[in-house]
Order: sequence, then C-alpha cells, then structure tokens
Amino acid sequence: MVFLQQVINGLANGMGYVLIAMGLTLVFGVLRIVNFAHGEFYMLGAYATYYCLKVLGLGYVPSLLLATVLVAAAGIAANRFFFEPLKKEHEFTILLSSLGLALLMTNLAEAVFGADPKYMDTPYSDEMINLGDITVTQQRVGVILVASVLIAAVYWFIRYTRMGKMMQATAQEPAGAALTGINTRFVHAYTFALACALAALAGALVGPTAMLFPTVGDWAVLKGFIVVVMGGLGSVTGALFGGLILGVAESLGGGYISMGFKDAIGYAIIIVVLLWRPNGLFNPPPMRK
Amino acid sequence: MITSKRHWVKTLLCATLALGTAGAWAQAKPPVRIAAINPLSGAGAFDGQLALEGMQAMVAIINANGGVLGGRQLQLVTYDDKGSPEEGVSAAKRAIEQDKVDLIVGGWFSAVALGQKEVTRDKIIHMVTSAQHPKVTEEGHNLLFRLNATSTMMSDRYARFICENIKPKSVAFITINDDYGRLEVDNYRKLLSACNIEVKGNEFYNRTDTDFSTALTKLRSQSPDAIYVSAINTSQGATIYRQLRQSGHRGTIIASAGNMNPKLVELSGPALEGVYSISLFSPESQRPMSRRWIEQYGKMFKNEPSFIGSLGAQAVEVLAGAIEKAGDPRAYDKISAAIRGQRWNTLLGDVNFSDKGQAMQSIYLVQVKDKKIIAVNN
Repeated sequence: MVFLQQVINGLANGMGYVLIAMGLTLVFGVLRIVNFAHGEFYMLGAYATYYCLKVLGLGYVPSLLLATVLVAAAGIAANRFFFEPLKKEHEFTILLSSLGLALLMTNLAEAVFGADPKYMDTPYSDEMINLGDITVTQQRVGVILVASVLIAAVYWFIRYTRMGKMMQATAQEPAGAALTGINTRFVHAYTFALACALAALAGALVGPTAMLFPTVGDWAVLKGFIVVVMGGLGSVTGALFGGLILGVAESLGGGYISMGFKDAIGYAIIIVVLLWRPNGLFNPPPMRK
Repeated sequence: MITSKRHWVKTLLCATLALGTAGAWAQAKPPVRIAAINPLSGAGAFDGQLALEGMQAMVAIINANGGVLGGRQLQLVTYDDKGSPEEGVSAAKRAIEQDKVDLIVGGWFSAVALGQKEVTRDKIIHMVTSAQHPKVTEEGHNLLFRLNATSTMMSDRYARFICENIKPKSVAFITINDDYGRLEVDNYRKLLSACNIEVKGNEFYNRTDTDFSTALTKLRSQSPDAIYVSAINTSQGATIYRQLRQSGHRGTIIASAGNMNPKLVELSGPALEGVYSISLFSPESQRPMSRRWIEQYGKMFKNEPSFIGSLGAQAVEVLAGAIEKAGDPRAYDKISAAIRGQRWNTLLGDVNFSDKGQAMQSIYLVQVKDKKIIAVNN
C-alpha cells in the first residue's frame, strides 16, 4: 500500500515536472534557446492565479485560465523585447542573458509581491480522495488529470495542426522553413507563448500543493532541466517520460532509500543517461558526418 | 628639486588630513553602523524580513530617544545571506572590510552562523540572533554572542513538557537535513526514549524541497501517536503542516522550538490548530519595552510582530546598551565585557550572558488556539 501511495505521489509530482519540461523543450527545439528564465514563468503563473483568486475574487478555474493568458502574453513580450534582439548572438550569450532575465524577474517579484510566503487556497487543495489506505488530495489528482489532457493536446497540436507543422519545420531548418513562406518570427513568438502558458498552468496547478514565494522558479527550472536532459532536449515524448521517471524515482528512492538522497537521485539518473545515451532517452543519436 | 617635491607631498598630506578632520567635525555625530545580515531571498526570505523588521522597529525607538552616546543615531546596513553559509560568510566579509561597519548582527540559520563566526572572530562584535546550534557559542570567541536558546537548552525544556503534558505513546520526526536538524533528532531520541516514548523513525528533508509527501507517507506508515516537525522556515513549515494533515495523520503535531509565528498560523490554516511549540517571546507580555516595540512595529510594518523579530530587536537593544556603557562602538573588548557584565532588562525580559556569550532567558510554552499563539500557563 505504501508502495502504491509513493507511486501516486511520484506521478503527481512527475506530471508537474512534465508540464514545466514541455515548455523548456519546445523553446529549445524551435528557438534553440536554453531558457533559464522558464521557472520564472511558472512562478508568475502561480502568483497570477493567486491574485486572481484573492484580489479579483474569481473562481479557481477562471483564475487559472486568466493567469495562463496573462503569462502567455508576458512570454510574447519577453520574446519580442528580450530574446529576439539577441537572436544573432552566440548561444552562450543568450543562455547567460536568460539567466539574467531570471534574476531580474525573481527580484522584481520580490519587490512587487513581497517576500512573505503565500498560500493559494483552492477548493480542491484540502479535499481528500480516500481509496482504502491511499489518500490523495483532489488537487493532486487534478494535476495528474489536467496534465495528461494537456500533454495529449500539445502532442496532437504539434503533430496534426498547420501551426504545429510550421513549428516542426522551423525546428528542423529555420532557413528552409522561411523559404517555403513560413513566418518564422511568428512561429517563434507562438512557441514562446505556448511554452509560457504551459509553465503558467503548471504554476497554477502545482502551486496550491505548497507555499508560494518569489524564488519557487529556481526549483521549477532545475527539475525542468533534469527532465529535459534526461528525455532529450527538444523532444516532447522525452519530456513526458523523463518527468514521470523522475517523479516516481524520487518518491520511491526517497521512500525506500533515504529522503536525504532525494535530490541526488535526479542527478544520478542524468549521469547514467548521459553516459549511456548522450542525446537523451528519446532523441536519435547524432548522425555521423 | 627632490626636497621641494617631498615638501609638496607633505603639505598635501597635511592638507588632506586637515580636510579630513574638518569633515569629521562638520558632520559632528557620525551614526553607529550595525550590519544586519539576514536571509532576504530564497526560502528563508520571509523569516529574514521578520528579523530585519524587528531590528528596524527597535532602531526607530532608540533613535527617537536620542540614539546612543549623546546623540549618535543607529543605522542598519542590510545584507542578504540567502540562507546559505557561503553567502553569509561573504556578506560578513563585505561588512567588515568594505563597508567598515561597527557591529554585526547576523546568522539566522545555524549553518550560516557557524561559517560567519570564523570571519568575525576577534575582529568585530557579532550578535547571533536565532541560530540554535550549540556549537555557535560552544567554541565561540570573546566578541561573539547569541540570543536564542541553543537547541539543547530548548529540547531539555521541551522534552520535559512533551513527557509530562502531551504524553504521546510514540513519536516520529521530520527534520531538516543539516547540522541543526541532525542534532535535534539526536537530542529528542535520547530525551523522549528516557521517558518511555517510543521513537518510531525520522525523515530528513532538504532546504529547497517544496513537496514532502514522500517523507510524510513513510512516517504515516509507521503510525506514530505524534509527529515532531522541525521546520525552521515559514514557507516550508506551512507546507509540511498542511501536507501532514493531507497525508491522513490525525494525531498530535509537535512544532519545533522557536519556530512559531503568526504568518505560519495564517498559512497553515486549520492544520496548525492545537499545535504546541516553545518560544522566548510571549506576545501578550505586559513589559513596557515589549508593548512599545509591538506598537512601533505595528506603525512601521504590516506583518505581525513575531518571535524572530523580537530577537532582532533584542540584539539591537542589548548592543545599544553595551555601546553606551563602553563609550565607543569600536571599543570591542569593553563592549564585550559590558554585555557579559550585567543583567539586561529587555523586551523579552531579563537576560544575562554566560562566559561563552550564550544568553540565558526564560522559555515559554505556546500553543495555537483559534488561530492565535498563546502562552500556556503551567
């Protein structure tokens, strides 16, 4: 029973990781940007939901949707005024700049929202679902369900819609895509907005399971990167399996070995994966030139 | 030529010196500068803010009374240690070497205080506020002081209460994975086993964790009567208390010593109702300085005055008194002797310091009732 409970704990955490990692991997795949500020969009999503609930007095679901739209807009702005002007720079410059953006956003958040922790009280966060000896909050079940639907939707979107195909084309060969008439600037903005929306949703869904403070993004981006490196940068399937593997491995490792090693487990998996498949679990090995 | 050059240099030197003194004269009473090193970002940010606010309220009271040494104002220079020993050490170095502050108040987390005390050793007066690890003062130095009770002092007092009043049959711990947490578990294992309370187990968590369901699932499977939660920062604490109730634990919860504040009560909601802790600060104390500080705090800040804040305030209060006695904020040996030399009547009550610089003051039992922290009379 404890085993099953730990697996469920792990799946709930893992689904959160997947949502975060999905955005990271999309932005890397299409824009070739390693975005260290991604966790900050998670943080913004959580805060936006909190304020919609508290200040505007909206319900949880409308708050979540409004927050997602707001953060997606913030993502478009970040792309337009921050990443687009840097497009021609070396990728390390972009990487470091994104780190700068992350610090800027965290400190702004601390100034605007305050350093005091906040709690996002949703109707589902303290309601329990009991199945025999297993107890899960409705919020966590919600994370698993909503994330599953979202992941399927994103997968379908990339695979079958016109926009998704344009994203794939831009990811494979930006110049070629542009030559066939794809507005790659628009595709970039679209991808960035989608990634930020996913991060915001993750914040709104996972946020109520813990306290909210301005540096929660650090945690989010760290987990996101572990997942993305494990699954393969740029691979959506990789993000899905990477996230679930990490979540379950952490909770089983924490539960059966020691909680003190919980963080070490993620890094250990990364080392093994990188030694065995340097491109990640779900990316094809690089072609020989 | 050479002589004349030398002459010029001399004249210039004299002129600069003269100007310097004149400048000092013009600005008759320079402030006494106190470094306030607290975690202002990261998971401990809120607690650091509470400590800093407590200090600021006390500084305002003292300055309104005319400052120290016949009109010198107190000035706080703030630093962020981010809750990490490395940052804490570098902040202390900056305070001493670059900013040349007169005194240091810092070391909110034990790990930070342990690092910092090596930097401040024999260089500057260093007042540690809330760190509880005994080693901070155990191997301390002449200029180092600590206000909070050590975790050993706390656990002796608390264990007696747990054995005599709460009386659980068995207990399990969830503690932070650092020096402080490890020490806590060792202490309570011994103390509680001694009065026949079965210790079922312990789980460590890390300072950056935001999800505790794994650890709590494990603890719950051992079905202890009571769970002892050692959570030193408010945001992690509130998450643990909520997730603990969500995990299905219906038994007693015992909160670690000194880690109860109004914000924690607000954030944890019903999960914290009835939970015990011990503290040096009793919010309904009628001591004049305590009332005055609570009033000043209320005027300046929107948070409620907390134990952590009161420790910050006590640090400023004792330092100001000692500077007054010593006659100079830089006469460190005199200040150190002054702090040790007497019983101080402060906002938290009477306090005196041991030879090693450890404060001795009364510890109250507190409990959360109807969302308020109240002292338990016994």
